[in-house]
Amino acid sequence: MHSKTKIRVAIWGLLGAAALLAQDAPLATSSVSIDLPKDSPVAFMGMTTGSSRTTARGAALVLDLNLSLTLRNISSNRIHGVTLRVVSQEVAMGGVGSVFQPGLNVGPGEAFPVHIATKLMRPAQMAGGPLLQVNLDGVLFQDLSFYGPDKLHSRRIMTASEMEAQRDRLALKRLLTEGGNPALKDAMLKILARQEAAPEIQGRIVRGHTITNVALAAIAPERQEQFAFVQFPDGPIQLLRGSALIAGGEARTPSIEVANRTDRPVKYVELGWLLTDSNGRAYMAGELPSTGTGFSLPARGASTVSQQNTLEFSTGGKPLSIRSLTSFVNQVEFADGTVWVPTRQNLEADPLLLRVMEPSVEEERLANLYVTKGLPALVDELRKY
Amino acid sequence: MRHPNQAALALHAGGDLGPFRRWITARHLAHCAACREEVAGFNEMRQLLPELAELPEISWNRMAAEIKANVRLGLEAGECVRGQEMPLRRQASMSGWRAAVAFASVIVLVAGCMVLENGTPMVAHAAERSVESTRYGIEVQTGEQRMLGLMNGGAQRVIYTLDAQGSMGARYIDPETGSVTINTVYAQ
Repeated sequence: MHSKTKIRVAIWGLLGAAALLAQDAPLATSSVSIDLPKDSPVAFMGMTTGSSRTTARGAALVLDLNLSLTLRNISSNRIHGVTLRVVSQEVAMGGVGSVFQPGLNVGPGEAFPVHIATKLMRPAQMAGGPLLQVNLDGVLFQDLSFYGPDKLHSRRIMTASEMEAQRDRLALKRLLTEGGNPALKDAMLKILARQEAAPEIQGRIVRGHTITNVALAAIAPERQEQFAFVQFPDGPIQLLRGSALIAGGEARTPSIEVANRTDRPVKYVELGWLLTDSNGRAYMAGELPSTGTGFSLPARGASTVSQQNTLEFSTGGKPLSIRSLTSFVNQVEFADGTVWVPTRQNLEADPLLLRVMEPSVEEERLANLYVTKGLPALVDELRKY
Repeated sequence: MRHPNQAALALHAGGDLGPFRRWITARHLAHCAACREEVAGFNEMRQLLPELAELPEISWNRMAAEIKANVRLGLEAGECVRGQEMPLRRQASMSGWRAAVAFASVIVLVAGCMVLENGTPMVAHAAERSVESTRYGIEVQTGEQRMLGLMNGGAQRVIYTLDAQGSMGARYIDPETGSVTINTVYAQ
């Protein structure tokens, strides 16, 4: 009887210890390190950690970080985009992410918020140091000049995004001039309808080119599927031929040959990628970038854009059955740093692109403004540019 | 709710899970219609492909004996081509390094047979790094371990973009700041 009591006490002790170990604790401000270069055009004004928590789970710490940063433009230019680099344990097992805030229009001296919601895990016994580091990767100004270490290719990404924004604002301003408020309202309703109509797709990327779903591979044998192309005759790149290995909802090792139509060497090509399922429904699947493959495309030359990873697609929790693939040129960066994006005529000329492509970042931002603040606020916003 | 992965559901459908995992999975299935459908799908697949469940009986002992005989044959053939001046030493054929090689071969063979007879399915992505979209954001994982996730902060509508180089983006209107935010998580 005595020994039974001891065992019970020991069990309750263990359970209590486990419960204590799993308890939440608020996040100390020192857990997050914000590092901005000395000559940064933005200054860090403050941060609130809100509902951020750390939870001990055995030998690991789970961190739910809900950070609201306030930055201030201390440069003399208007800021149109900021990218922050979010790093957890920048050693072998760590993770790297980025938070890009496009569509900004922050004047000199003005402050703006950036919200970072992140979840990460790290060993509880890791010695010292902040749990999360937030660095500046890049700032894009109104005149498309750039500042930052650009470790995550933020310059190209933000420049392309800003060029798309300028393109779409220009089109909407033209509509406003020619057709007045009703035409602008009609354009907003069309954007909202496209948002609603765009089919949902979920994805997973596995590094390497193994078949990840053995069971699926058994019922859907892998096949080589040729890409169909949407060509932009006035664009700098022509798509020649390409294929990917397809098994059920998995696509592996996509590869597309491209030709440079211009007299300028190209540094980077990004291809958009659409897929159609066995029911004939089309989805915007993602992007095929030329980075990381030693890509080089000389003037009037040809090259291949390829990647070695496996992409899995599903919708509503069920794997897609991929039937066909279509690609188009989404972005081009020349060796001199200038960037090309498709025109609205390019995108609107093809019924498949028109049906499947999501509204651009700027269209989404302006449509949100229309929904939340109304047409007069939208008109005011367009007049600021 | 955290769903069992597809390998677990496939093993459950085939009755190949261990007792604890089977209990955990059964408990989950009792409440999750989506996973029940997955399991039903695996069951249908098993019915469609009965030959998968009918692997021919293999006599591992016989195969081991054959391989052992082949090892001996190989050693003797090696002795034959060594040259006329080297006498054949049949009487010492299982001594010294040859005995060690033969013993090691048998150990490897027996271990191989045990692994094969246990029938543990191979999962290709056991410890690979992957990036995945979830209900709340995007996460990078190594095997079952989650390394970093960028969450969507309760956004109503999120557009995910897969980059074949190994990153994933999530675009949404941030409910806190009201501005467009694009989170990207990299698998490297």
